[in-house]
Amino acid sequence: MIQSLRKSETLRKIREGFRDEPYLILNAVFTGIIVLVFAYSAIFSPDTNNYPVACIHEKITGEPCFSCGLSHSFSLLLRLRFDEADSWNPYGFRVFLFFVSQIIMRIVFSVLWTKHEETRQQLIILDSAGSLMIFLISFWPFIESILTSVF
Amino acid sequence: MEETRNNTGHNLGIAALITAIITFVLAVIPCVGLIAIIPGIISIVLASVGLSQATRTNAQRGLPLAGLIIGIIASLISVSQIFVAGKLAGTAGKWPGEIQNVINDVQENVIKDLEESDVSIKIESNGDKVEINAGSGKQDREQTLEDLEGATTTENDTIPPKK
Repeated sequence: MIQSLRKSETLRKIREGFRDEPYLILNAVFTGIIVLVFAYSAIFSPDTNNYPVACIHEKITGEPCFSCGLSHSFSLLLRLRFDEADSWNPYGFRVFLFFVSQIIMRIVFSVLWTKHEETRQQLIILDSAGSLMIFLISFWPFIESILTSVF
Repeated sequence: MEETRNNTGHNLGIAALITAIITFVLAVIPCVGLIAIIPGIISIVLASVGLSQATRTNAQRGLPLAGLIIGIIASLISVSQIFVAGKLAGTAGKWPGEIQNVINDVQENVIKDLEESDVSIKIESNGDKVEINAGSGKQDREQTLEDLEGATTTENDTIPPKK
């Protein structure tokens, strides 16, 4: 009884939060986008090779870039074919882990946000810093390629 | 007295921030980095409008400002993908030269083979038969030269054939 009351209280807070708190709206939108990314990887199959997004660099220069094969890699990772995923793009796994970590972080931080009102400021700082760190680690090969091209 | 919160530009700020963060992630991925300039511009426009509305009504400016900053950085990263494309194009530019070298090698080999070979063409039409034999006769000529030299000289001074 008490548990169900607590649950309904949390749900009410989340519902109210969506109306007033941009943080929860942002988390909900990003969760939705990441789910769409996974859905894209699940729908389009590496066996049929029917991906709608083509690499612009390859079209312009005829040379594959660092991120070519990322869609294939994602699809294969979702199908637990790790070796094939690695052969399509060696950086696919770390980028995939970024999206997985983000979906977990969005849910966990949203729950913490609604439950602990007194630590919201710290929560945002922790979320921003943590997400930025994970982003830099996951996308570093791509960032490095841009930096070496520019400078 | 109850304090009322002014939310002018709030929704635009949220939209700008979401677009800016998506642009940021897309801009870093080389395959789609150049396309990210489109959502980048959208995020900057949304953030600018939201920021101006918030400034006019003295509302909170945190969200549109964050959207504007991230949007500008993401757009700059997206534009910098042109340099990556340029670098790739530079690598691709070496290919025509390499292909030309391969073609030249093949051409030289074919000419060399034709020089050293005999060609025979046979045509048959309504019982008529025509046969054309053509060849460099290089070996025959070398043999003839050997024979001629052999009559006058004792040493074999013919230049050895190229290997």
